[in-house]
Amino acid sequence: MARRDDMLGVSGAETVIGGGVTVKGNLASEGDIMIDGSLTGNVTTTADVTIGNNGVVKGNITALGVTIAGSVKGNISADGEANVRETGQVHGDISASTLAISSGGIFVGTSSVKDHGMTKETGAN
Amino acid sequence: MYYYIVNPAAGRGQLKNVQDKLRARLIELGIGGEWARTTSPGEAAKMAQAAAAKGHTTIVAVGGDDTVNEVINGLGTAENVAVGIIPLGSTNRLSSQLGITSWQQACVLLAARRLTPYSLIAAGQKFFLSTLTLGFETELDKQVDTSPTNLRGRASQLKTAFTQARSYESLHAKIMVDDDISIEADIFSLSIANQKFLNPLADNRLIVTMSDHPGRSLRTAGHVWQLLRDRGRAGEDTATTRFLARRVVIETTPASSIMVDGKVASRTPIAIRLTDRRIRFITEKVGSEFREAVGPRVN
Repeated sequence: MARRDDMLGVSGAETVIGGGVTVKGNLASEGDIMIDGSLTGNVTTTADVTIGNNGVVKGNITALGVTIAGSVKGNISADGEANVRETGQVHGDISASTLAISSGGIFVGTSSVKDHGMTKETGAN
Repeated sequence: MYYYIVNPAAGRGQLKNVQDKLRARLIELGIGGEWARTTSPGEAAKMAQAAAAKGHTTIVAVGGDDTVNEVINGLGTAENVAVGIIPLGSTNRLSSQLGITSWQQACVLLAARRLTPYSLIAAGQKFFLSTLTLGFETELDKQVDTSPTNLRGRASQLKTAFTQARSYESLHAKIMVDDDISIEADIFSLSIANQKFLNPLADNRLIVTMSDHPGRSLRTAGHVWQLLRDRGRAGEDTATTRFLARRVVIETTPASSIMVDGKVASRTPIAIRLTDRRIRFITEKVGSEFREAVGPRVN
C-alpha cells in the first residue's frame, strides 16, 4: 500500500491514483493529481501533478507544477516548476518556467525554459 | 401544504414515543400538513408518487434511510417538489449527512425550508442519494451490529470487524470511468458518493474512493475504527485512490454485494451514473449548530 510519505506528503489532491492501481486513458482534472500507480495516457491539469516514488507514467504531462519521484516516459510541460527528485526518472522533453533536478534524478531529453509565453531551448540532457 | 409520509415501523417503532410531541411541534411551527402512514415496505414510494401527482410541493419522509430512499425513488421525474426528512429510523445516515440529527431540529428546518439541490445517482435501475459501497465495508455492515455505542459494544464491534478485516480477501476490480478511462486494481473496499454530501459547497459529482488492504495491524485497526465510527461518510482519509467522475461501470472478481445508502441493493457488475435529476432537500445551514430553544417562544 502506498504510504503518505511515499506520496511526498501530498494527500489532498483531487485525483489520487494509489500504488498497485493500473490506469489506461487520459486523466484530466482542475485540481492536483497524485499518481503512485501506473498510468498509460496523458495527464492534464491547471494545478499540480506529483508522480510518487512508485508512480509510472507513459504519456505526456501538462500542468502548473510537476514533481517527479517516479518514472515518466513522455513530455512534460509545466507553466511553473518541473522538479525531478532524487528517485525520479524522466525520458522525454521538459518545458517549464524553472527546472530542478536533484542529485540522483535522471533526465534524458531536451529542456526548454518558458519565459512569458516564449520558449527558449536550453539543450539536451 | 406539507405532506408527511410516516413509517411507523421505522426505528423499531420509536415514532409512537414521540408522535404527539412531534405533531404538536409541527402545528406550532405552522406546518402541520397532511399525514399518511405506510403499512408495508414499498408503500412510501407509491405515496410519494401520488402526493407529487396531486400537487404537493413539500414531501417529508418520517423514518430512516429506507423510508427516505423509497420517497426518492417514488418521486421519479416529479418537479417542483422539495423533500424533507424527520429522522426516526434505526439508521439515519442520509439525514445526518444533510446536517439533520434530531426530530426536534428537523421540525425547525422544515419550517425554515432552506433548500439544497442534490443530483440523484442511478445504480442500475434504482436511484440513490448519497453513498454506494462494496467490498469490506459492505461485508462489515452485513455482519456487525453497529447500534451499540457504549464502550463494551464498541469494543466488541472492533474485535469482530478487525478479525474480519485481517482475513478479508481483496476483490479484483475493473472499472470504466466516463467511458474513457479504465482502471484495474485489487481493492479492499470501494465507495462512491456524491461529493456534495462531503462538501455542500462542492458541485454534484461522483467521488470514487478505493483502498487496498490496510495491511499492517495498526493500520487495519485504525481503518476499521474509522469505518465503525464514521458510518455516514465515504472513506476519505484511508483511501489510496480517489477520483471524480460522472459515470462508472464496475466489475469485480468475484462478484460482490453492493450496499446503497446503507442497504444491500445489488451485486456487481453494475453501472453507476450521476443523473441530471435533482431533488431539492430541506437541509441545515452549513456550519450551523442546532440548539433547542429554552423557555417561551416569542414570535
